[in-house]
Amino acid sequence: MNLSKWLMLVLMFAIGNMHAALKVTVVKKDENAFPIAISPFKLIGNKSQDKDISKIIHDNLERSGRFDALIPAAVVDKIDAKYWKEKNIEALVTGSIVQESDDIYRLSVNLFDVYSHTQLFTRSTRVHASGFRKIAHQLSDYIYEALLGENGSFNTLLTYITVKENAKGVKQYSLNISDSDAMNAKSRIRLDSPILSPAWSPEHKYKNKKIAYVSFQNGRSEVFIWYPFLRKKIEKLPRFDGIASSPSWHPNGKSLVLTLSRKGNKDIYSYDLTNKKLTRLTLHKDIDTEASYSPDGKSLVFTSNRSGQAQIYIKNLENGHINRASFTGRYNANAVFSPDGKHLALVHRVDNDYRIAMLNIESKELSMMSNGTLDDSPYFSPNGDMIIFSSHRGGKGLLSVVSVEGNRSYELSAYDAEVRAPNWSSSLEN
Amino acid sequence: MKTKIIVILPLIAILSACSTTDNLDTNTVIIEDRGTGEVDAIAYGQETFEWKGGEQVANIDAMPTKERESVVAALKANGGKLVLYFDYDTADISSQANQEIMKHIAFMQDNPKIRLRLEGHADERGTREYNLALGENRALSVKQLLGFGDRIEVVSYGEEKPQSSENDKNRRVEFIYK
Repeated sequence: MNLSKWLMLVLMFAIGNMHAALKVTVVKKDENAFPIAISPFKLIGNKSQDKDISKIIHDNLERSGRFDALIPAAVVDKIDAKYWKEKNIEALVTGSIVQESDDIYRLSVNLFDVYSHTQLFTRSTRVHASGFRKIAHQLSDYIYEALLGENGSFNTLLTYITVKENAKGVKQYSLNISDSDAMNAKSRIRLDSPILSPAWSPEHKYKNKKIAYVSFQNGRSEVFIWYPFLRKKIEKLPRFDGIASSPSWHPNGKSLVLTLSRKGNKDIYSYDLTNKKLTRLTLHKDIDTEASYSPDGKSLVFTSNRSGQAQIYIKNLENGHINRASFTGRYNANAVFSPDGKHLALVHRVDNDYRIAMLNIESKELSMMSNGTLDDSPYFSPNGDMIIFSSHRGGKGLLSVVSVEGNRSYELSAYDAEVRAPNWSSSLEN
Repeated sequence: MKTKIIVILPLIAILSACSTTDNLDTNTVIIEDRGTGEVDAIAYGQETFEWKGGEQVANIDAMPTKERESVVAALKANGGKLVLYFDYDTADISSQANQEIMKHIAFMQDNPKIRLRLEGHADERGTREYNLALGENRALSVKQLLGFGDRIEVVSYGEEKPQSSENDKNRRVEFIYK
C-alpha cells in the first residue's frame, strides 16, 4: 500500500462559529480517488457575489475520500477537454448564479465528463437566498451518484455532544446539530449536567425531525425528545424507579426503544409516541441496554450481560426469539445495524482497548474498523458507506469517520471542547 | 401531575396496577409485556419503590443537619468508608466491601432517621450506556445488602463523574447520608 497517499491532509474547512463548529480533518483518502475540478461559479448581480457554492461542493467531495477535488483559480467558461485531460482531471463541474430579484437567484450547474466529452447532467433551478447550503449538498449528492453510481450522504444532518469546562472548572454539556459537513452548527440545549446518546428520528422531512437524548438535568438519567425545527416543548418520556436511557427510533418514526430500569431490572421497552404505550421487549435479571432496530423494524439488536459479560443479542420481533450475535471476545456492546441490515457496527474489546468493529451477522466474521483505546458510539452514514464514532486524539474526544472498507477516514474536532456521541440523520427532503 | 400506569402482564401476573413517581407530561402509560417468558426473579429487592408514588425515599422525618453531620463524622473517625470500590465490569461486592457494608448497617440501625443516597459509578472503559446500567447495578448490590429499602435512594452516573484518573478509583459506589 502506498503510504505517501496516506499523507495527513489537514483541511481547515470549518472555523466559523467557534462555539459549535467543528474542524474537519481528512486523514486518509482512497488511493484511486476520482480526480475532479469544481470551477468557481460565475456570479451575476450584486448580491450574488458571496453566493459561490463551489467550495462547499469541493469540501464535500474531498471529505468523502473518494475524490481528488480542486478548484481552478478562475471561472471555467469554455470547456477545453484537452487541457483538463492533460491535468488528469476526469470530470468538471461548472455553474452560475444569477440574481433574479432581491432574494431569488437562478442557479445553473453542469457536470462534464472529460474523457467521453459528454455532459453527465445539467440542472437549472431557482434558489432562495437562504437555500444555497442545502442546494450545494443536494448537488454534491447528484455529482457523487453520477460519477460513482452510489448514493451520497451529503444532504444530511449530524447531532453530537460537546463538553467543555467553564472558568470555574464546571463541565458544560451541549447538544449540537449541524449539516453533514459540520457547518451550520447550532447548540440550543446547554446544561451543566451530562447529556448522552442523541439520536435523529428517521423522517426525511426537515421540519419533522426530532432528536431523542438522555439528560441528567433532573439529577438522574431520563430520556427526552427535542423538536429542533418546531416551536414545540421538549417532551420527557416515562421512567420507573431507576435509569431511563439509550433511546433509539423505530424506522417508522412513531415509536422508539429505550432502556428502563424497574425494580432494579434493566430491560428494553418500546414507547409509542401516539398512544403513549410502553411495551417491554426483553425480560432478564441482567443488564439489557443499547437497543437499536434493524432497518426493516423486524428485529432489535441490544447489549446484554446475561452470559456474564457484555455481548450482542438480536431479538426477532416476529417470533420473539433472542439469539446471541457476537462470539468473538469478552466485551461487545453498543451495536447498530447497517442500512442494508446485513452488518452490525459495535464496540469490541481487544486486550485493554475498546475499538469499533463491523460484524457480518450471517457469517459472524468480525472486522476491526478503528485502533483507538476508548472508541464508542458507532453509527452508519445513511448510505452505509461510512461509520462515525467517538474517539480520542491527544487525550481529547473527537469524532472519527471511517469508510467500511477502511481506506478512507476523516475527523471532526472542536478547538476547545470534547466531542462525542455522534448520530447521523437520514437524507433530507424539503 | 400524577401519572397512572396500568400494567398488563399476560405471562406473569406479578403486578396489576401501580402509579409512578414522576411529573410526567404524558397522561396514561399502558404497559404490555412481551418479554419472552424468561421468568427470572426480579433482581435486587427494590419492589417497595414501585408502590409508593412520589419520592423514592420514604417520607420520614429527616435527621437534623447538624446531628447528621456529627454522626457521619463519627462513623468516618471510626474508620467507616463512604466509598466502596468494585472490580472491572461487575457489581459483585468484595469481602472487604462487605465488611464496610456491615458497619453501615449498624450505623443505619443506630440512626433510624438517617437517609442514604447511593451513587453508582463506572470507569471510562466500555460504552457509556452500558456503564450507566453497570453503575446502577453496583449501587443496587450495596442497597440489597444494606436493607432499609425505603430509606435508600439509588442513582447511577455511569462513567460521567469520574473522581480520579485511575480506573480503579472510579468503579465505585458513594454513600451520601442525608
